Amino acid sequence: MGSIAIEIFGKKLRNPVMNASGTLGYGREIERLWSIKVLGAFVTKGLSILPCQGNPQPRIFDLGCGMLNSIGLQNIGIKRYLEEYTEFFLERKTPVVVNIFGFTEEEYIECALAIGDNPVVLAIEVNLSCPNVKTGGILFGKKPETVFRIIRGVKSATNFPVIAKLSQEVTDIVELAKAAFEAGADGLTLINTIPGVVLEENRVIRGGLSGPFLKSIALKAVYDCSKAVPIPIIGVGGIMNTEDVISFLRAGAKAVQIGTATFVYPNTIPKIVKELKKRRSFD
Amino acid sequence: MKHILGKILENIELTEKHFLLTVKVKAKIPDVVPGQFVMVMIDDKKVFLRRPFTLYKVGEDTISIMYKVRGFGTNLLSRMKKGREISLLGPLGRGFALRNRDLYVIVAGGIGIAGVNLLIERMKGRFQIFYGTSSSKGLALIRNLISHDPIIATMDGSFGYKGDIISCLSQHIHYFSGVDFEILACGPKDMYVSLKNVLVTYRVPCQVLWEEKMGCGMGLCFGCAVKTENAEHPMKRVCLEGPVFDLWDLSL
Repeated sequence: MGSIAIEIFGKKLRNPVMNASGTLGYGREIERLWSIKVLGAFVTKGLSILPCQGNPQPRIFDLGCGMLNSIGLQNIGIKRYLEEYTEFFLERKTPVVVNIFGFTEEEYIECALAIGDNPVVLAIEVNLSCPNVKTGGILFGKKPETVFRIIRGVKSATNFPVIAKLSQEVTDIVELAKAAFEAGADGLTLINTIPGVVLEENRVIRGGLSGPFLKSIALKAVYDCSKAVPIPIIGVGGIMNTEDVISFLRAGAKAVQIGTATFVYPNTIPKIVKELKKRRSFD
Repeated sequence: MKHILGKILENIELTEKHFLLTVKVKAKIPDVVPGQFVMVMIDDKKVFLRRPFTLYKVGEDTISIMYKVRGFGTNLLSRMKKGREISLLGPLGRGFALRNRDLYVIVAGGIGIAGVNLLIERMKGRFQIFYGTSSSKGLALIRNLISHDPIIATMDGSFGYKGDIISCLSQHIHYFSGVDFEILACGPKDMYVSLKNVLVTYRVPCQVLWEEKMGCGMGLCFGCAVKTENAEHPMKRVCLEGPVFDLWDLSL
């Protein structure tokens, strides 16, 4: 079996496979089935400076071809999370990508400061698909200017590599990739869930679409952005199996994240890692 | 928790839209606490996510769930025929906790009986069942429990007490005064709201099995989280910290 270790942000990872943010709980839950040591790196749930209760029920919709979630970024807050989980990741020698979000530019910076020089952290992944309360809820990730400002702000508050996680729901994702790069981003995660709506009898529920149908959209984003910016790209969206991972790597991704597949087939990640090891190369 | 693969032994309609699915399992079935559930794969292109169902009965090499057809997932599940392979994931969640009370009062509303059947099968001490259903047709779900002398209420009055099961319970509850008893319940949310109103004066101990739509069933997605009265942990995942909760912890 060949080595499938990769180097990213100056660090060596066991393999290029991570979980997508928010799809593997806080980290402990899946260990009833497999150890998170299987991962190249663990990506945290989106964390905010204050705890967040998230949206009311219902939060999950099965669309047949995939799903729509309306979790609303529920989390216990970044400080408490790092207090409760740093030891867990240290014991498992598993590097952590801390996913952060905020409702103001300042909150993103406060999150970066809260991470400090935590020894388990590999990088900070900035979720830009969050509403800016000061502009009436326009997502930060919609405009190159706000992407630039947030990434520059986070960069100034940390020594860790900063990854911009971008949404495809924009006129041109390449413009956002360039803005993130110019602001000093060390990498990109492409793509986030795509906004959608479910119509219930008496209400409209907004949420994020995920599942296999995202793959082709995400591959395009990875391919186009990898031609436009010289920083590593982590590909995510619709990965269900090893062939999908290979497609992302061929499209220009340095690493991948697996999300929704785990909900239905909880052994997807260890299965893919095992199959990648059997191959001699990623071609 | 583990992957459980099996074949459908039977998938029969007990009464309108209510089914009993029994799966013959190949490997050893892990220990199950009553109230725990399995995530069931519904093998159809129209269904992406697994669906959660409380374990109704666990045999040496069989697992049964009882379910009501509510949406397209359960509709397709009801059409899965004998002999089909089926994938389950479980047992999952936290089941009922028994604390050696003098008496347990088990309250089930409609298909909620599916959530307490295994509990009743394994009961050792004294217990009394209250079962509420819309009409006498609902008796088809408790044929196996008749010998336990359940108190029955029907909404249309076609059998037993006329009205909902919580009104029926409230008329009987004085019989239990002075007894160390606890209520174990499974039913729709409005039943829990009425139950809370009836029990509030004496704050009777009560565990309820909470149902919620789930994405993963394993605590990964936070899709089933509900609000609780716990200040430190206001949001709890039904699949991980439930599905059985202390009624007094829930924000209803």
